[in-house]
Amino acid sequence: MTVYSFYIFDRHAECIYKRRWLPRPTSVAGKSQIPGAVGSSGQTVRAGDDDAKLVFGTVFSLRNMVRKLGGEEDNFVSYATSQYKLHYYETPTNIKFVMLTDLKSPSMRIALQQIYINLFVEYVVKNPLSPVEHPGGVGVNNELFEESLEQFVTRVLA
Amino acid sequence: MAAPRHSAMLSISNASTPQSTSSDKTQVQQPQSPAGTSGLRVPSNRKTIYDRHLNRSRNAELSRASFAYLFGEMVSYAQRRVTGIQDLEKRLNEQGYPLGLRLLDLLFYRATSTSSSALSSSSTSSSPPNRPLRILTLLHLIHGPLWRLLFQRSADALEHSVSPDTPNEYMITDNEPLVNTYISVPREMSMLNCAAFVAGIIEGVCDGCGFEAKVSAHNQPTEMWPSRTVFLVRFGDSVMEREKVLERAGVK
Amino acid sequence: MNSRRVILTVRSNLVSRNDRTRIDKVNAELVTLTYGTIVAQLCQDYDSDYQEVNKQLDKMGYNIGMRLIEDFLAKSGVGRCANFRETADMVAKVGFKIFLNVAPTVTNWTSDNNQFSLIFEDNPLADFVELPDDGRAQDELWFSNILCGVLRGALEMVQMQIEAHFVSDVLRGDDTTEMRVSLVRYIEDEMPPEEE
Repeated sequence: MTVYSFYIFDRHAECIYKRRWLPRPTSVAGKSQIPGAVGSSGQTVRAGDDDAKLVFGTVFSLRNMVRKLGGEEDNFVSYATSQYKLHYYETPTNIKFVMLTDLKSPSMRIALQQIYINLFVEYVVKNPLSPVEHPGGVGVNNELFEESLEQFVTRVLA
Repeated sequence: MAAPRHSAMLSISNASTPQSTSSDKTQVQQPQSPAGTSGLRVPSNRKTIYDRHLNRSRNAELSRASFAYLFGEMVSYAQRRVTGIQDLEKRLNEQGYPLGLRLLDLLFYRATSTSSSALSSSSTSSSPPNRPLRILTLLHLIHGPLWRLLFQRSADALEHSVSPDTPNEYMITDNEPLVNTYISVPREMSMLNCAAFVAGIIEGVCDGCGFEAKVSAHNQPTEMWPSRTVFLVRFGDSVMEREKVLERAGVK
Repeated sequence: MNSRRVILTVRSNLVSRNDRTRIDKVNAELVTLTYGTIVAQLCQDYDSDYQEVNKQLDKMGYNIGMRLIEDFLAKSGVGRCANFRETADMVAKVGFKIFLNVAPTVTNWTSDNNQFSLIFEDNPLADFVELPDDGRAQDELWFSNILCGVLRGALEMVQMQIEAHFVSDVLRGDDTTEMRVSLVRYIEDEMPPEEE
């Protein structure tokens, strides 16, 4: 399986962390895109920003709809398009973990929960040099967290 | 009306004062002591430090996370009030120092009740142990009993500088300092070692024993121990001179 | 620092302590004494202005609570509580148990189920403690005030705005240590900012 990207949103609906491994094929651009090449750096950042907003909007609406239909305790776990699969895990503190993978991937719910428990809580939440909240992603981008996330995704999930 | 005799007893605020067993304690249950008169109110059920055994919390354990959060908040509070890394370490050191002074009393008290031989060779089980007179005895006290009291294990190494220029330098190594467990130091602060707090504790213990010293914490990572920390203990000149005299006199 | 040295002890800990989960306890006295130095430092920094010290302790607790709740949820795996009564029990029996190894009694509910008291039989933070005998500390300082902040920060993260304060403390000469907790409101989900 392939992990395309990973996002964390905080309770203020802000994207406090995002990481891309491989460009996700999009239905329009996907055909002409050469895998691995992401275009000029300036564009990538902007595309990434919009990406995060779209992803948030999607999971936020979906989660609210799911709760309306299935009750307060209900939550969606993943959805798939013809191009990718989006995996979702939300903590009771309203932190949202999102991972985009290829279609072959099994459920990533446990993996996302592991990232929350073993990486986010251990290396971000407990790190006194990282702020309590992370406007603009401050504090999440620390070495311990990033390295272990990289290891987790490339060695454990791959 | 507060009882003055009572207040004199209560004003000893050192935590490790052996408990008072005085049975004629009066209960002072004034809602408010009048200004000027001293004397602390105590609960009628006697839940005071004098009525509870000092060893009661000896083997008590608490969540490691609770310590991490407290320590973390201490660091970030200190961080808001300082200008640089050195300043921050100095402040952490200063916060550890009084803890060292207090722990020393606790160590001696506990050593008496368990008649540990690690403290002093001349101590017997019935009399309180003598405080260390020689540097090595002191350092063993820190490396062993102090570390065990704080971190439930001994420190990992105790070394002496062999450079002729710095005979007053000793090193205590902790491969994985508890206080640094959750700290990921950003690159631009790579010099920072929050174990400066522990350095302050060591300094307090040294000073409390009459060994004037400066103690600092340094990062010395190895591949196996990324947060390995060396506590550099530098004794003052007077201590080194006394050490020579004691050596000649054959004092252990 | 000079790198040449003589080894004075035998390496005593050859066992790897890398496994974080194996030892998740610390000596309670280390916690108690560390908290003591924090309060002492605040009293010094704020010149024994105890009102201000209370405020700062509450603030520190708030920061801790916001972090600690994540750890709590990660460790305990519990989900949302159905109501405030359930929350109170969770706080007392699970939360305080995990982090402070005590289980305060939940009592004195108001009829609308929005206010309760926590009565602390034991309080590890206050072991070894006697307040300064300056004629003011016993009337003004809430030594364990950090706990109010912790509760406030932790519950805010799970969408409950609460108010918490101590009403009595054995350190002040009271017979009990009691914290009063009131639910202010449930916090709604925040929406992403509108596109500009």
